Amino acid sequence: MTDSKYFTTTKKGEIFELKAELNSDKKEKKKEAVKKVIASMTVGKDVSALFPDVVNCMQTDNLELKKLVYLYLMNYAKSQPDMAIMAVNTFVKDCEDLNPLIRALAVRTMGCIRVDKITEYLCEPLRKCLKDEDPYVRKTAAVCVAKLHDINAQLVEDQGFLDTLKDLISDSNPMVVANAVAALSEIAESHPNSNLLDLNPQTINKLLTALNECTEWGQIFILDCLASYLPRDDRESQSICERVTPRLSHANSAVVLSAVKVLMKFMEMLPKDLDYYGTLLKKLAPPLVTLLSAEPELQYVALRNINLIVQKRPEILKHEMKVFFVKYNDPIYVKLEKLDIMIRLASQANIAQVLAELKEYATEVDVDFVRKAVRAIGRCAIKVEQSAERCVSTLLDLIQTKVNYVVQEAIVVIKDIFRKYPNKYESVIATLCENLDSLDEPEARAAMIWIVGEYAERIDNADELLESFLEGFHDESTQVQLQLLTAIVKLFLKKPTETQELVQQVLSLATQDSDNPDLRDRGYIYWRLLSTDPVAAKEVVLAEKPLISEETDLIEPTLLEELICHIGTLASVYHKPPSAFVEGSRGVQHKRLPPRAGSGESTESPDVGQSGPSEAPPAVIPSQGDLLGDLLNLDLAPPTATVPSVQPSMQMGAMDLLGGGLDSLVCSSPAMGAGLGAAPAAMPASLGSAPAVGGGLGDLFDLGGGVGMPTGSYVAPKTVWLLAMKAKGLEISGTFARRGGIIQMDLSLTNKAMSVMTDFAIQFNRNSFGLAPAGPLQVLTPLSPNQTIDVSLPLSTSGPVMKMEPLNNLQVAVKNNIDVFYFSCQYPLSLLFVEDGKMDRQVFLATWKDIPNDNEAQFQIKDIHLNSDVASNKLQGSNIFTIAKRTVEGQDMLYQSVKLTNGIWVLAEMRIQTGNPNYTWMCWRRPHVRECVSQNDSPVIS
Amino acid sequence: MISQIFILSSKGDHLIYKDCILTTGLLVALFCLCLYLLILLQSHKGLHFIHVRQGGLYWVASTKTNPSPFTIIEFLNRLAALTKDYCGSLSEKSVRMNFALIYELLDEMVDFGYIQTTSTDILKNFIQTEAVSSKPFSLFDLSNVGLFGAETQQSKVAPSVAASRPIMSSRGEQNEIFVDVIERLSVVIGSKGVLMKADIQGEIRIKCFLPTCSEMRIGLNEELSIGKSQLKGYSSAVRVDECRFHQAVKLDEFDTFRILKVCPSQGEQTVMQYQLCDELPCAPPFQLFPSVEKDYVNRVLIFLKLRCDLPPKSTALNVSITVPVPKGSTSMSQELSSPDQTAELQPKNKALLWEIPRFPGGAQLSALFKVDVPGLSSASLLEVGPVSMSFELPKQTCTGLQIRFLRLSPTQTGLSQRWVRYVTHSDSYTIRI
Repeated sequence: MTDSKYFTTTKKGEIFELKAELNSDKKEKKKEAVKKVIASMTVGKDVSALFPDVVNCMQTDNLELKKLVYLYLMNYAKSQPDMAIMAVNTFVKDCEDLNPLIRALAVRTMGCIRVDKITEYLCEPLRKCLKDEDPYVRKTAAVCVAKLHDINAQLVEDQGFLDTLKDLISDSNPMVVANAVAALSEIAESHPNSNLLDLNPQTINKLLTALNECTEWGQIFILDCLASYLPRDDRESQSICERVTPRLSHANSAVVLSAVKVLMKFMEMLPKDLDYYGTLLKKLAPPLVTLLSAEPELQYVALRNINLIVQKRPEILKHEMKVFFVKYNDPIYVKLEKLDIMIRLASQANIAQVLAELKEYATEVDVDFVRKAVRAIGRCAIKVEQSAERCVSTLLDLIQTKVNYVVQEAIVVIKDIFRKYPNKYESVIATLCENLDSLDEPEARAAMIWIVGEYAERIDNADELLESFLEGFHDESTQVQLQLLTAIVKLFLKKPTETQELVQQVLSLATQDSDNPDLRDRGYIYWRLLSTDPVAAKEVVLAEKPLISEETDLIEPTLLEELICHIGTLASVYHKPPSAFVEGSRGVQHKRLPPRAGSGESTESPDVGQSGPSEAPPAVIPSQGDLLGDLLNLDLAPPTATVPSVQPSMQMGAMDLLGGGLDSLVCSSPAMGAGLGAAPAAMPASLGSAPAVGGGLGDLFDLGGGVGMPTGSYVAPKTVWLLAMKAKGLEISGTFARRGGIIQMDLSLTNKAMSVMTDFAIQFNRNSFGLAPAGPLQVLTPLSPNQTIDVSLPLSTSGPVMKMEPLNNLQVAVKNNIDVFYFSCQYPLSLLFVEDGKMDRQVFLATWKDIPNDNEAQFQIKDIHLNSDVASNKLQGSNIFTIAKRTVEGQDMLYQSVKLTNGIWVLAEMRIQTGNPNYTWMCWRRPHVRECVSQNDSPVIS
Repeated sequence: MISQIFILSSKGDHLIYKDCILTTGLLVALFCLCLYLLILLQSHKGLHFIHVRQGGLYWVASTKTNPSPFTIIEFLNRLAALTKDYCGSLSEKSVRMNFALIYELLDEMVDFGYIQTTSTDILKNFIQTEAVSSKPFSLFDLSNVGLFGAETQQSKVAPSVAASRPIMSSRGEQNEIFVDVIERLSVVIGSKGVLMKADIQGEIRIKCFLPTCSEMRIGLNEELSIGKSQLKGYSSAVRVDECRFHQAVKLDEFDTFRILKVCPSQGEQTVMQYQLCDELPCAPPFQLFPSVEKDYVNRVLIFLKLRCDLPPKSTALNVSITVPVPKGSTSMSQELSSPDQTAELQPKNKALLWEIPRFPGGAQLSALFKVDVPGLSSASLLEVGPVSMSFELPKQTCTGLQIRFLRLSPTQTGLSQRWVRYVTHSDSYTIRI
């Protein structure tokens, strides 16, 4: 009796028949019935209606029947969650069964049923099974933790299963260890920052011990886990390598490749002069070669991996060139990949062999392969300089075959060779010209035309040759047309007398009769160049060309490093990082190689790049005052890289700020000869309290006269921030500026005390835009009495963020050898306008429409006598970009956009009435910043 | 790791479908569409499909993460081998008949996408279902024969009928064990008859039907040396560059006595793989002396003289020679030396095919082909490219590797039959003109 009949029953009432059979008393009949049900399930029939009947068969001693019922349950439990609950009791009972097979079966199946209610019941049995005496049950339970984590991660953490799983790494049975490692690795992947797989030398040792004993598949789990470990030093890395090396001779190629991955990664840490390093290199070659003896599909996977390894460490396979020679019956994808590796391995030592082989390939039948082989000869010439001559002669031999596609490919690569070695192999041009007529592919024609144009002075009949191409100009592809245009212009510049007619002809063809914009533009450029200044044209067109680089096809190094960490996986076949093709959070972690050993860098080297905490000024010790409380909390750690969004915290303060903003708008404009001083911080400065008003400031005032050039951003004059009498003789005045995209705080420190001041340091309190000193305060010399020093302190916007009142308030602490002093100042918001604040017109239009009415605000700026163009130029200097302009009834409307360092956009409309000195600003994007912006804008424009 | 496993018939019907993660849903229909492109890797909507084809069936695994294709392909191959071991043979019919058994196997082999085991020793403790044979076993049924390790046309090897027998069949106790030594030869011979490249990939495979077998000792040639530097004795005739062993093989007597100790589990397994590059211990089995001439305006004369350099007692079987001919060849006439040979022109492949069913060692055969090529030019002659050959050499190993003895310990009660067989295949045998 065979099972195949189960597939053939498609009669009506089948479900009823099955139902009857399932409820039969005879065990044998029940089993047959369940088999039939599962057969229908496999072919996609819906047999979920039988759920209760099948579940009834669950309580049986017959293991075969039980397995079949469980199989059914796994498939349909999700669609019948209420019914599935009926099975829970049996599961729980089975988890206590005397037979370990049944215990394991129950745990395994329960984990596969993704019904919440069942999951709750799973915890207790699972906990018991994780500590079961039978390793088969333990290993099944270990995987079940991963299943449960997939369903409900929080539950797994709460129940403490992760710790039990970690304990299983030390289990006596290697299979249990392997499954625990696999489960932990999977769970760790979804929590990138957790330290789940706490790999330390002890656990590594345990893993390495288990590695020798477990099954081949377990070895793969363990090796993959080892690869994510970072050894402490080269000695540890060597000892791991030594214990992994025996895996290289395993019969399962997946084990071999996982071992290769571990070795490639840890080798990075071994000093190159170490004997062991050399031994390891030798040991890596044979297993890689052996991988090539598998079926073509596996060969392809192996070759893609070898391609990576060869790019990283060519020395491993440098003597194994022969194994990459192509066999006639290899599939084309294997052939092409082999060819690629051959080129990568080509060196002076083996180039003769490689060339002989490539020449053979060029006579094969498969056109694609032949083309690639001819290209490969060209790449050899470019890669190995000594071989260039031989390559050229090989190519010439191939051209003699007159096989059409061979000739065309050869001409394309000879062009590349000319570009790499100019003025060396021009003797072959004559041969090339003989084949002119047989070229029918655009790329080959373009290459040939390039050659003729480039060497026009050595080809007697260059003009005739080019003229022949010109006849069918409009039928050519763009590539050829462009090349022909350039070549004829080159020819004209070299032989102006004879070819004037030709050049005129091509220029008119390109500019008048062509509808291809590229071609027309190039034509016009040449035409104007030639007509205005032929000498300049010669310099431009016949300029020396940069040599083409020899390794243009290498994988970019950082990507290569990441791919090396993924050897043996899909990523290494696609040559793409896993994040490019794996959905969700899994596999998105970027792996990297351990730092190179022996190059003087310690493992901590990545930290050195950041401005180290050691360079920060010593801790500021505040004396008293309520402001000081905050400063106590100053974070001296290096600035964090991310700028937290400040938007939510600012929303509330928006409205009250409006009042003050309008006041300050009126008074803080220096052009009005301020001095009214309503806003607390905008102490009118130009009255001379800052003696060191720089030259830049003067320029700015001059520009106010209406020079139409974009200027740098506006810099307010310095104001006194700290009075000498309050600071034991230290007077600080300062201002803010934005220079070349860098925010700077310009300070003048004056010593009005009787003694010398030294040891200056500065620190900011948290503030609205995260301003923080980007370096220490550079006061090198001691400040003697009555001396003034001007310092520029670069600022970053990556400091801690806290909303201030007003928004642009900044609390500063300055320390010297006498005491610590505190003051606050306000910075103009224009400081924070970034250079890329120019919004796309379409985006601007769309955003503008979206602005709610209550976000709008209007301001008047008075007494400004600029026309709109000058104003917009000046504003652009301060990174306020005019997106559009229109004129309505004598009013100029400028639409402007501004972007702040924290990514907030501000949109504005500016109305300028001719003859009326008053400007009207309106419509701001963000209510909470608008007043600050407005109060700052008026000085910028004036 | 693995999300789903399918076994599909050649028409794309689901024979077996297992969803390991249970969240993926069925996507295989699309996969079937692109199968005809015969690409190893497919991806669709973040799901990557990997398949192998064995026994006329597609063995497919899909995955969402970034696993090792090697692992999955190895696994699929093992799955196919195990299915064959358990069901007797691989076919749509046998898979359909034994679906319950295969589901049971899959349950034990893969848990939540993690491969657990593929060893019959472990699996037999768990498997309850008994295999169903597609036809009653008969020694006289010789239609389904072949060496285990290789797909060969060689026939009339009586014991190989065992190859299509389930290992755990309850029908009688078979105390049989088969050991096959299979070598694949790739050779490139240059245009002047110089041997340019030669390598041999070899393997020792066993198929074991012994229900309990404690240990088997396989003795290889004592003078076998491994690696380029290591030489044993004065005239080391047998040498391999590198070898790999199944993990169950104990090698404690290998270094001194060249004895492999293995406890074979039921079913088929590769005990040892080895390879030899560059230096063949003997001459390559075939030498070709070609000459290509232009006869008339539109005719090419290809004269081939083929010599077999095997020892006189041995024979090569199923020798076929493929010669590329110029593009546009229309017809061909040939002069062959015996009636059992055939030759035909295959304009689609731009090649002529010459087939010789039996080729005794030391013999020399010649053939003359006249190919009509309209519009023949001198360059066309260059298109008569490298000649490729395929053949098989029964009872031959090119490395000279031999199995000296096969001992079972403790000696089995009852009759145990041991079979040792050798075969060499051509993998890629090219002779350049």
